[in-house]
Parts: sequence; structure tokens; C-alpha cells
Amino acid sequence: MAMSINANNNAAEGLWDFKVVGEVDISNAHYFKTQLEAALAEKQQNIRIDLEDLNYIDSTGLGVIIGCYGQIKKDGLTIKLVNPKPNVKKLLTISGFDKVLL
Amino acid sequence: MADVLKLTVPGKAEYVRAVRMTAATVASGCGFDIDQIEDIKVAISEACTNIVLHGGPEPVDYEVVFEVGEDTLSITVEDRGEGYDVEGYVEPVPGEIQEGGGLGIFIIRALMDEVDIRSEVGAGTFICMKKRLLAQAV
Repeated sequence: MAMSINANNNAAEGLWDFKVVGEVDISNAHYFKTQLEAALAEKQQNIRIDLEDLNYIDSTGLGVIIGCYGQIKKDGLTIKLVNPKPNVKKLLTISGFDKVLL
Repeated sequence: MADVLKLTVPGKAEYVRAVRMTAATVASGCGFDIDQIEDIKVAISEACTNIVLHGGPEPVDYEVVFEVGEDTLSITVEDRGEGYDVEGYVEPVPGEIQEGGGLGIFIIRALMDEVDIRSEVGAGTFICMKKRLLAQAV
């Protein structure tokens, strides 16, 4: 798999710390989604996703993030993306998702 | 005459990355800079993803053709799958929350210099996109 995901329950800050490494595309976006859902099923809290080592993402991965954001927003929760590489930030800007996720 | 590289790709999710890697190699050989190569990688992945998602219930092979011109890289992605109604495509509003729903096509149009998309229900989908080398010098 060209992607790995690490999820850590950050009790001190009361949020899920995700780190996504590698590439997210149509072949593994579903796995990404299941990891987010599993974390939220375990504990409903905000999510922070570190994109420092995310080299590639496209509409399938962005769709997972924004879909999850739409779900948890109803419960007053949010997702924040941190440390995106320039190419990832460009896609977030084009899609307009930067306004809610960065 | 332009150099032409043709690929026949199984319409499965796991092969989109192979096309993306090929596109990066071809674009690099053309002299595109890193930012432009990233644009091309995303655009072609979106086109392939579109075909994998809309090709039909069974994976359908599709063709990817790279044409390396003097100052332009043309990439055509074409299948004979189920196609979809292009007229019914609604361009998403940036920032509006959605999952899927035309975001891929929107991204292709934003990243490439020229984009031609034709699709017909029952006949397949044709996406031709071009990136010009000169665009980076402007």
C-alpha cells in the first residue's frame, strides 16, 4: 500500500491526531475513510490530520475528509489539516476546502 | 511528429497509480517543472478515477495516450464504458461540502491549460487535456 495512517487519541488536547503518510487515491481512500470512522466510533472528538508526509491526494481523498467533516460538523466537531505540502495545499485552495479545513 | 505513448489500462482502482507514475515520468522528460508535474499527476488521476467510477459495474479497460509535442503534452483518456450525461454535470461551488460529485472534473479543468470532455451514456467517456510548457514562462 502506498499509504499508512496513524491515529492517536490525544487526551491532553482532547482530539484525534491523525498522520497520513504517502499517497491517497481511489485505491485506498476507502481505507482512509474506515480509519476516520473507526476513531469517531471509539470517541467523538475533533480530528487533526498532519499532512507533513502526505505526498499526494486527489478528489477521492479530499472527498473522504470533507465527507467526514460534514458528518461531524452536525455534532459540533471539526477537522483541521496541518502541514500540507504545497501541492496538497494547492488542491485544498482550488476546491475551496482550505477555508474550512486549514 | 509528436512522440506517442499508448497504454491499455484495466479499469481497476489499483492501476490509477501506475498511470500517474507514467505521467510523471513523461512530463518530467518533457521539461515540466515540479509544480506542473504535480498538476499533471492529479489531472490524469482524476480522469482515470472518473472512468473507473463511471465505467460500469464490471471493470472496463481504457486507453491512455500521451502525445509529446514541441511545447505541449496532450493526454487522452478514453473508455468504452457506460459513460455519463455531460450535460447533466453541475460544476461544484468551491468550498461547498460534498463528497465526489464532479469535484474531479472541476480539478482537471483548474489544473490543465485545455480540457475537452465528451461522454455519452452507453458509448463511453473521452477526456483530452493539454499542458503547455510555455505556460510556465509567462
